[in-house]
Amino acid sequence: MWSAELLSLVHTHLIPLQRVRRAALTTAGQPRAHWQTHCATGDLTVMITLARVFSCNSKLVWGALAFVAVASALQADETCSSPYLARIEGQEDFVYVWTLGQEGLGDGSDKLVTIDAKPGSPNYGKVIDSQSVGGRNEAHHGGFQDDRRQLWLAGLDTSKIFIFDVHTDPAKPKLTKTITDFAEKTGGAIGPHGAYALPGRVLIPCLSNSKDQGGKTALVEYNNDGSYIATHWLPTKEDPRGATNGEMADGYGYDARVLPRKNALLTSSFTGRNNYMTELPKVLANPEAAKQVGNTMVMWDFHARQPRKVFSVPGAPLEIRWAWGPDHNYAFTAAALTSKLWLVYADDKGEWQAKEVAPIGSSKDGVLPVDISLSADDKRLFVDSFMDGMCRVFDVSDPHKPKVIHEKKIGRQLNMVSQSWDGKRLYFSTSLLAKWDKTGADNEQFVKAYNWDGKELKPTFSIDFTAEKLGRPHHMLFGARVIGKPPTVAANE
Amino acid sequence: MSFRTKRTLAVAVPVILLGAVTLTAGPLERDAEHDYDPPVAGSYSLPVVKSSAGGGSLVDSTGKSVELRDLIHGRVTVLSFIYTRCASGRACPYATNVLGQLHLASAEDSKLARNMRLVSLSFDPEHDTPRQLANYGEAVRETDQGCEWRFVTAKSAADLKTILEGYGQAVDKRADPNDPEGPLYHILRVFLIDQQGRIRNIYSSGTLDPRLVLADVKTLLLENERK
Repeated sequence: MWSAELLSLVHTHLIPLQRVRRAALTTAGQPRAHWQTHCATGDLTVMITLARVFSCNSKLVWGALAFVAVASALQADETCSSPYLARIEGQEDFVYVWTLGQEGLGDGSDKLVTIDAKPGSPNYGKVIDSQSVGGRNEAHHGGFQDDRRQLWLAGLDTSKIFIFDVHTDPAKPKLTKTITDFAEKTGGAIGPHGAYALPGRVLIPCLSNSKDQGGKTALVEYNNDGSYIATHWLPTKEDPRGATNGEMADGYGYDARVLPRKNALLTSSFTGRNNYMTELPKVLANPEAAKQVGNTMVMWDFHARQPRKVFSVPGAPLEIRWAWGPDHNYAFTAAALTSKLWLVYADDKGEWQAKEVAPIGSSKDGVLPVDISLSADDKRLFVDSFMDGMCRVFDVSDPHKPKVIHEKKIGRQLNMVSQSWDGKRLYFSTSLLAKWDKTGADNEQFVKAYNWDGKELKPTFSIDFTAEKLGRPHHMLFGARVIGKPPTVAANE
Repeated sequence: MSFRTKRTLAVAVPVILLGAVTLTAGPLERDAEHDYDPPVAGSYSLPVVKSSAGGGSLVDSTGKSVELRDLIHGRVTVLSFIYTRCASGRACPYATNVLGQLHLASAEDSKLARNMRLVSLSFDPEHDTPRQLANYGEAVRETDQGCEWRFVTAKSAADLKTILEGYGQAVDKRADPNDPEGPLYHILRVFLIDQQGRIRNIYSSGTLDPRLVLADVKTLLLENERK
């Protein structure tokens, strides 16, 4: 079904319908100096001892501690997770895969699949556990809470959220709680799109609303116990809530990511339930439906949870990746429908701006970029594209001038990518949405692992999720028996 | 108002070691690690994160028994889980430093002094005896003025378990008790609790900016005044 004709539909109907109102851009600015608060600490014995001896009330002592902390690079963990998340400081042991159930395949239900990813293990590269949640919910994204003891997995269709204990036995996650009243609790937000760890709570960006099932939606907060806290609706032109460029605000949502040291929360936008639960060819054939796509990003005051500035980023800007460097004040996103890489950055006056910085493949080919992964050193950006099944590796050492340095065909369709902190291992999965995936022979469903040697992606293992009767693999997250540095034994258990 | 530290000796050795860090002005100012202007107190809301913060029996630095529930009602409380042997740069020492800055701020603001309470609660009762907590408190407190600042620990293992579970504070023993970062592994958690004992914010090292905490405390005080 994903024919040249269909691709033509995308570019003749969908893209021209998008509004192209861009925020005023300035020339490229230089990032301000600062240090990254979300790096873990290294060996700080000397500094800590000094700090304790001198009673700790010197700003300088703490600045020095921060300096040392930043200098201590981590060895593992995925690069695109929340900065508030407890980190794996060694090799990941497991890759957790939130997998969509497929009718007629296995039990047909969504499931959390666990893959052994530890080299040398007798089960390396194999599925070692599968936990069905009973039913299909349009499994999509998930996320750990900040202490990494529970994994939250969301369903875009039913708005159910499944909370798994991944602490007691990381090799065998256990479902401990299911949130089934999301729309009621949140005042009408639906389509929870994963969970982003904040201190003691999770931030859940949504895709839709229960009133018209369109794209106007909200950010939602739950505490780590699974209790509702608050709903923050995305700004609209009718209710911009004080945001600059409020007249452009479309109220759509998708991803939400924080740069703590700038108190900056950035959100992106996709489409509502009416579209993501409809076969893509039907969406594209309906001009009114095709208009219902997010074309904006929003910068928020994170602490106040108040929108500050709206950017025009046409064509469904999806995943957001903040740079990690201590003086890197920028984030990347890929606009799916225009196949463009965008940069949101602080200019030389410290003002947030957004600009297009590179094409992703040829927009005429309709590559449909989806997930992106930024290396921990901010030098490489791995960009997956669904239509051609390619991963393109960009040199983003100069974030304003990305350059493609490597391309690899991963499969006939491709969606997510997760990267280890050391940049050496990458994992790829295939499913986009149950009704948007390719059909027939093109509907490959796999998780593939690759090593990155700095120049080339080289395959290590591959799991056929159809042959294994598992379903459609989507979001991948890393697990480990050890969180932090050394082996641990629970003290409060 | 100046919060410039009085202990200049404290900064000398780190400067020599690292060479790149310069002395900044008072700690409640914008800096590289908190490179933004905090929102104005009262211009935003703090939804209830948890309707009832947990309780448990404690012992304070004088050896006196006290109920946690009594420490988190009546005033806006900043509750920090710590252990005094912690040597992780962005964990307990940092949290205690921030509480110290809040304490100094309250010494120059009578409203804060009357209405804010600081609690440093150790989850290492075996080591953090009342005497140890008293010494720790004496070492980190820079003024005898200001708001109440209590140093406490759990009265029993059962109380500790209840309290840690109630606040979702994960604590693990490290396999190596001589680990340079300390014998316990934990994530940093500091809680903002309103006068009714409800959790209104939770901070980690990434969000524990004393300016934000002060703005939050004042937001809750304003909220209480408007009732």
